[in-house]
Amino acid sequence: MISTDFKSGVGSRLSHPGGNPEPSSCGEAAMPENEYPPPKPAAAAPCGAVQLFLLFSQLGLSSFGGGVPAWMHRAFVQRRGWIGEGEFSAALALARLMPGVNVINLAVLIGQRLKGAAGAAAGLLGLTIAPSAAVIGLAALYDRFAGTTGLAVMLEGCAVAAAGLLIGMGLQSGGRIIAKGLRRRARSPHSIGAPAILAVVFVAVGVLHLPTVATVLCLSPLSIALAFRYGSASRPDARDDRR
Amino acid sequence: MTDDSRTLAALVVIFAPLSLVSVGGGPAIFAEMQRQAVTIHGWMTAREFSDLFAISRAAPGPGALLATLIGWKAASWPGALVVSLAFFLPSSIMAYAAARLWNRGRGSRWHSAVEAGFAPIATGLVLAGAFAILSTEGRAILAWTIAFVVAAMRLWRPTIHPLLLLGFGAAVFLLAHHLG
Repeated sequence: MISTDFKSGVGSRLSHPGGNPEPSSCGEAAMPENEYPPPKPAAAAPCGAVQLFLLFSQLGLSSFGGGVPAWMHRAFVQRRGWIGEGEFSAALALARLMPGVNVINLAVLIGQRLKGAAGAAAGLLGLTIAPSAAVIGLAALYDRFAGTTGLAVMLEGCAVAAAGLLIGMGLQSGGRIIAKGLRRRARSPHSIGAPAILAVVFVAVGVLHLPTVATVLCLSPLSIALAFRYGSASRPDARDDRR
Repeated sequence: MTDDSRTLAALVVIFAPLSLVSVGGGPAIFAEMQRQAVTIHGWMTAREFSDLFAISRAAPGPGALLATLIGWKAASWPGALVVSLAFFLPSSIMAYAAARLWNRGRGSRWHSAVEAGFAPIATGLVLAGAFAILSTEGRAILAWTIAFVVAAMRLWRPTIHPLLLLGFGAAVFLLAHHLG
């Protein structure tokens, strides 16, 4: 772990004088505090479908109290850099828009991206098989431990902390969206509009309890149009997000 | 025997459409599951349903494994298997098709625009979801404090294992419970 970190650091430092802009500083720019190696583009399949299945199973079995997207973000974006920040956000939104269970849709999207059909299957099966066994086991034991209220209280504490994991992920990407608006010299309607759209979605869904899908369907054309017209596609710094 | 297969058939009939109708997830689906499992089919009491709901929320993995639990309660392991297939497979196939379409457009200008346009929306939804979870919590002040400490720790020291943070939440809640 340490040695690869060291090597990639040296590699990117050495290659800069060579005029190669490729070793992306985006990882460090996006996560200044992060100690993980900088994310790399996920061009090649990073591992086999079986390992992917095991990884999804591990995430499924770790995520006590929910917060599965935060676990996936940590595993695929932060630690391994197989998925870019922007890609992950897009997958999150798509997973919400499609019918079915959000986190399973997200796992299928990520799995498909990394390893095609086998990867999608790995995502679905990883998040269902082992966690199903765990949840059924818990239910079978529940009657025996129902009297010990301590267990329920601890699980509640887990759920609250898991919400905190989601807030951490949201604040991180929210901070990035706001920083982008502030940093860019030529401010565009997109860089100013994006934080506003973030705030509107939060208030509409979180505070006013408007239906998620209707809110997303109303706001995404505006958000996408702003990105298309003023955004990043034609600008060099746009690529930041995709790695 | 026929009773068993009738239960399994009922589970498929209930959960396969729910899989494709349940856009956006959330309370509406759980309400429908409760109506079917408790009121219509009588597989469990309302009390048992709310126990299963609490278990599925606290257990690791997707909260929607509540569906699997209902299948298990109604018809043991075959029920769990049948419900899992009926509830998770159809929507996953659709998600797979969408993923292929989505990834085929990679690199084009519209693809980048959709990606950039979705970023603030996805972030708003994540924060709204966490907000919704926390505002239903009984010990509101404690819950918000723990959540923000956990979020701050994630940002400040990203390498801290999230399980430690979950353990922290559990320990604080247990302590608060014992102190009254």
